[in-house]
Amino acid sequence: MEIKKTAMAGTLESSDIQIMLSQGSNGLEFDLVSDVAKQFGKAIQATITDVLNTYDIHDAKVKVVDKGALDMVVKARAITVVQRALDMADEPDWKVI
Amino acid sequence: MVAEERLRRTMMFVPGNNPAMVKDAGIFGADSIMFDLEDAVSITEKDAARYLVYEALKTVDYGNAELVVRINGLDTPFYENDIKAMVKANIDVIRLPKVESAEMIKELEQLVESAEKEFGREVGSTHLMAAIESAQGVVNANEIAAASDRMIGIALSAEDYTTDMKTHRYPDGQELLYARNVILHAARAAGIAAFDTVFTNLDDTEGFYRETRLIHQLGFDGKSLINPRQIAMVNEVYQPTAKEILNAQNVIAAIEEARRKGSGVIAMNGQMVDRPVVLRAERVMRLAKANNLVDSEGNYIEK
Amino acid sequence: MTAVIRPIYLQQSRLKKVWENFLTARGVDNFVPEELAQIEITLGMYDESENLVGTGSIANEVIKYIAVCDKGSDQKGARFNTLITALLNQMAQWGRFHAFVFTKPEYRVSFEHVGFKSLADSPTGVILERGTPNIDDYLANLPQAPQQAQNIASIVMNANPFTKGHRYLVEQAAQANDFVYVFVVNQDASLFTTQERMDLVIAGCADLSNVVVVNGGDYMVSFLSFPSYFIKNPDQVIGYQTTLDARLFKNNIAPALRIDRRYLGSEPQSHTTNIYNETLQKELPPAVDVIIVPRLAADGNQATVSARDVRQAIAQGNQAGWENLVPATTGQFITGHLAQLQARIEKGQQINGN
Repeated sequence: MEIKKTAMAGTLESSDIQIMLSQGSNGLEFDLVSDVAKQFGKAIQATITDVLNTYDIHDAKVKVVDKGALDMVVKARAITVVQRALDMADEPDWKVI
Repeated sequence: MVAEERLRRTMMFVPGNNPAMVKDAGIFGADSIMFDLEDAVSITEKDAARYLVYEALKTVDYGNAELVVRINGLDTPFYENDIKAMVKANIDVIRLPKVESAEMIKELEQLVESAEKEFGREVGSTHLMAAIESAQGVVNANEIAAASDRMIGIALSAEDYTTDMKTHRYPDGQELLYARNVILHAARAAGIAAFDTVFTNLDDTEGFYRETRLIHQLGFDGKSLINPRQIAMVNEVYQPTAKEILNAQNVIAAIEEARRKGSGVIAMNGQMVDRPVVLRAERVMRLAKANNLVDSEGNYIEK
Repeated sequence: MTAVIRPIYLQQSRLKKVWENFLTARGVDNFVPEELAQIEITLGMYDESENLVGTGSIANEVIKYIAVCDKGSDQKGARFNTLITALLNQMAQWGRFHAFVFTKPEYRVSFEHVGFKSLADSPTGVILERGTPNIDDYLANLPQAPQQAQNIASIVMNANPFTKGHRYLVEQAAQANDFVYVFVVNQDASLFTTQERMDLVIAGCADLSNVVVVNGGDYMVSFLSFPSYFIKNPDQVIGYQTTLDARLFKNNIAPALRIDRRYLGSEPQSHTTNIYNETLQKELPPAVDVIIVPRLAADGNQATVSARDVRQAIAQGNQAGWENLVPATTGQFITGHLAQLQARIEKGQQINGN
């Protein structure tokens, strides 16, 4: 699926993660800012990639600012940003969540 | 009516879009945790909060706390998706704000039931509670409390209610006396729990104790809270006395005795023990255990 | 408990006073109308006792007038992060996902922690950006010079409108280099609109096969538009603005496009442009050579060709006056749109600037 519009979800507050998703053409291009990028950067990317794949999104720019989010928070914010980018914030895909 | 009786002294509000508070909500020992998708979440973040609470309910261990979610009202575009997501996440209780009639609960019940069917959840396993926030709601409290077998409680929400009554909150709480009593009676008549409103001034500890003692005296099951610091204070007010515990232990012993003898009648000191007395004794023992006043066998711990 | 954020309506003088005092106490005390006029919204953060503990404003793509007080907060920096979230969310609701910040060097790290990337710095101020599309996206969308091109030159111009002087500068660069980028300033604040200026530059350079005309985007603006309200000493402002502009070009634009020369017209008349040219000469070499081309004199007169004189002639309806100064392509446009251009001037469009 193609990203229709740029979207953002999450906050810059402690324990949260902010994800910005925009159109891309070169796979999933991650840009991750995190104090714990070394330990958790890969896990964060993997969680977001999983969510994007369930929505059949394989090309996108993904800008991430992590503030120590748990995996479940990463997943929740990823779902939110995808639904916003696909213009379906008001009609969730119940098969995915 | 839900048969299961449980302690509901403290219902802690947790803003639904705040990951730090959502993930830690279980560590403070609240009897009920109420994730808020309504007033604590700005209109642009309703979707974000819904998915955050959804994922939290799926993954975080909140121990024995009863998990409640306050969804957005039925006049909002978020109402139906909130219900679906929360039913799918196996929430214990859905709290509907601004309830004014039994019809509103019945409509909610239908949507909950179809969500239960859609997501393969046992029909009837999602409980409901109503928040009364207006004069209309108070006037209809009886029918609201009895509107559904799924109902487990009814709560007063004083900020909107006092506004509707053309007043505001005062330290002595006189403006809430009628509503509190009506809601309490509606709850007791329907056999469900009654929750008092929040107390927002965190600096006024004395005022908080005063209000908690009042609603304890009236007979409320407990109180809604906005800060974890308030939990211990409520528990302290609800803590039974040594005399109450002793009395309850005697009732429990009499029940045991009757069971051993195979007698259908429970007698104590030559008197028949009524069902309300039994229920009160059980409740006192639950409170005593929750406050660590008795050990696992029910023996009083001298302090 | 958490602080609440809500708009501050600066039209209300009492609120504005509180806001100004809060900023002044934190070293921001320049409230000149030019900076304030661009503000679309100002957010205030309040603690439980209704004290102002943070503020920030949005002006187009720029976040400005940011200050936060950590007193009474549980966690250092938490309020800053909450405030920046609120500002970015507001911009996102307006469909803007890209933000600039111009700030003091000591705040650079705080912004980097919330996803901003530094574009250029100077001793008095830094530019950071965040979100999308960013400078990488801008550069990726520009045409690339042919592989075999050795010398790649660049010229930045507002071209309001494109004159014989501009043409002369481009010709000089085109003759001496394999490839030339002409960046047209994107900011739409001139007598000729951005689209008109672009079109006239393209038309005026159409015969030069090794010249490509591109929009300068957000990165080659008029340096004078860099916010400077946080710099106390006015003498430092022009130095900060020109240094930042030069370093942004040198660090980001030039390497990505393999640009090794920058052409400038000599500027006998304007003091600020002279300072700008001096700064470029100081900052760009050795990575980028600066070549200053003496201004073309019009028809052997002593006076040099200037776009300002063209605009003056338009205002006066003096056709001979502008035709003498502009290439035929620009001249045709002016003749065809004279009434429209004069109406813009009558409506108050400034014609004396750059």
